Amino acid sequence: MSTMPARSGSRRRPADRRPPPQCEPAAQPRPALVQAALAIVGVGLGAITALAITTETRAEFTAAGGAATFAGSLTGLVGTYLALVMVLLVSRMPFVERVLGHDGLLRWHRRLAPWPISLLVAHAVFITVGYAQAARWGLWHQVGVLLAHYPDVLIATLGLGLMCLAGAISIRAIRRRVRREVWWSVHLCMYLALALSFAHVLAIGPAFVGHPLTQAVWWAIWLATAGLVLGYRIGLPVVRSLRHRLQVVEVRPEGPGVVSVICSGQHLEKLAVSGGQFFCWRFLVKGMWWQSHPYSLSALPQPPHLRLTVKNSGDHSAAVARLRPGTKIVIEGPYGTFTRHFQQHRRVVLIAAGIGVTALRALLEDLPRGSQPVVILRASQPEDLVLGSEVRSLVKHAHGWYHELIGSREEVSINGRTLRQLVPDLDRRDVFVCGPEGFVTGVADLARWLGIADEAIHHEAFAL
Amino acid sequence: MKGMKRAPALVAAGAITGFTGILIAHAGAGVPLAAGSHPLAAGPNGSAGPATSATPTAGSGSGSGKSNPARRHKSSGPAPGGGAHSVVGSTVNFGYGTIAVRVTVAGGRIASVSVARLSTLEPTSQQISSQAIPVLRSEVLAAQSVSINAVSGATYTSEGYARSVQAALDALHA
Repeated sequence: MSTMPARSGSRRRPADRRPPPQCEPAAQPRPALVQAALAIVGVGLGAITALAITTETRAEFTAAGGAATFAGSLTGLVGTYLALVMVLLVSRMPFVERVLGHDGLLRWHRRLAPWPISLLVAHAVFITVGYAQAARWGLWHQVGVLLAHYPDVLIATLGLGLMCLAGAISIRAIRRRVRREVWWSVHLCMYLALALSFAHVLAIGPAFVGHPLTQAVWWAIWLATAGLVLGYRIGLPVVRSLRHRLQVVEVRPEGPGVVSVICSGQHLEKLAVSGGQFFCWRFLVKGMWWQSHPYSLSALPQPPHLRLTVKNSGDHSAAVARLRPGTKIVIEGPYGTFTRHFQQHRRVVLIAAGIGVTALRALLEDLPRGSQPVVILRASQPEDLVLGSEVRSLVKHAHGWYHELIGSREEVSINGRTLRQLVPDLDRRDVFVCGPEGFVTGVADLARWLGIADEAIHHEAFAL
Repeated sequence: MKGMKRAPALVAAGAITGFTGILIAHAGAGVPLAAGSHPLAAGPNGSAGPATSATPTAGSGSGSGKSNPARRHKSSGPAPGGGAHSVVGSTVNFGYGTIAVRVTVAGGRIASVSVARLSTLEPTSQQISSQAIPVLRSEVLAAQSVSINAVSGATYTSEGYARSVQAALDALHA
């Protein structure tokens, strides 16, 4: 079984590994900060609603089309606000990443997504209806008038169209039929859509025309959001990549369709990463440079080397297997809350299915002493159990227990009885589970059902 | 997502705070709160003699309007007493467009008021303005000043109209 060049899993004991990273990147922020952030999101929501109401007079409301116009301005403001919250959720702000975890924030992003889009569509419909009622002419005529004669409304409408397109392609049923690359490119249009909508709000929005203060606040909110997105999604990765100058050293097969990529770089000891975290990787070769994909480190960094292990499950991961030594890499991260910093109990049980073993392998190496890990690896066939021997030797050195569950889902299932049997002291352990989304939610639900507190259940789901 | 059970409560509490905060700030700023109409100018002058103050209508809070100095219009000349004088008030930007109002004074009274120029940002404001202007005109003629109420649903136009009329009156009495 292959291991990293600079270190084999059994050469050193986990207890005497390198000193911990200088800063603790994944330490959980103080609850007070999280609560303050939530309250601030609420304040914004309340304020924007009040803004729509205070701009409206009773006479305007009772005039022809007034109710629809008011509904239009309310849905427009609230929808736009929620769209900005959505953008901030995925802005890679370290704070958000740490509080929600990357898969958690994506879940929230998905859960909230229908709201801003449907509110903004409702905004367009309500305004059109309201204006048509006020002018006492037809709806379609009003559409033409709005597009032709209202400043910046045409480009905002284009933006709304783009937003609907980008939203539609993210609907689960459609998303599954579309390649990730196509989805990603279309989804990126959301930024353009939002930018196109910006001007018409200030030009004709009743809350903004003639109100320099609200205009200034609106500008500040948008600029701050754009700054955070640009800084954390572009600026920081560029700086990190220039600093670490990562490149591919070797690609080696680990099992059927699974390869490890060994990378080398500079100053990796300064890269504050915890076991179980992942990076978004952008390999600078033809056909791959424009997209970045999340892959977990499958071992703690061993300056000057990093290792990721990838399963062939799509165009990108297949192309990873063909990477040549010397290929330059841009990284974004580290991300993820699947780390020891969130551990509640002293002892842990780590459960992984399939390629989920990569994050488990790195986490295992990073566990504090005394964790006495119980490790359960799940695979359909013995050859799918990649990195098994590395995991086994790490478990041995941590004085833990190692279990393999091999067979189809029907043959070996993880249920309450098997879990209790393999982990008699389950109640006094943290549960870390990693693998495909269905597996992860299944095990997390099971753990919850067995009485494990939410705080002690940690998961990282791999989107395929 | 750990320890986030109170998240909905926190967001709701924040929302209520933000909502009331804006309402209070709004009320404090003296802008009418969902009121149907409000007086545009508290001019002390009931009759033909408009205020001689240099500022046409006290700042209404919206503050984006830039007015040009009023210009004498047409031939009439500054003859005091009997003759009719007509002046176009400064062009006022009321946010959704610009308006300039012509005021004719005869025998110490406002004899007629008409819109010299009106351009709006978009058709809705055009409709609102054209519905409000006849009302504003008769209000000014009745009050013989800009101590008038804003037309409901046309606050911006009303303010622009009043400011242009005031500028015209100021010019006539300069």
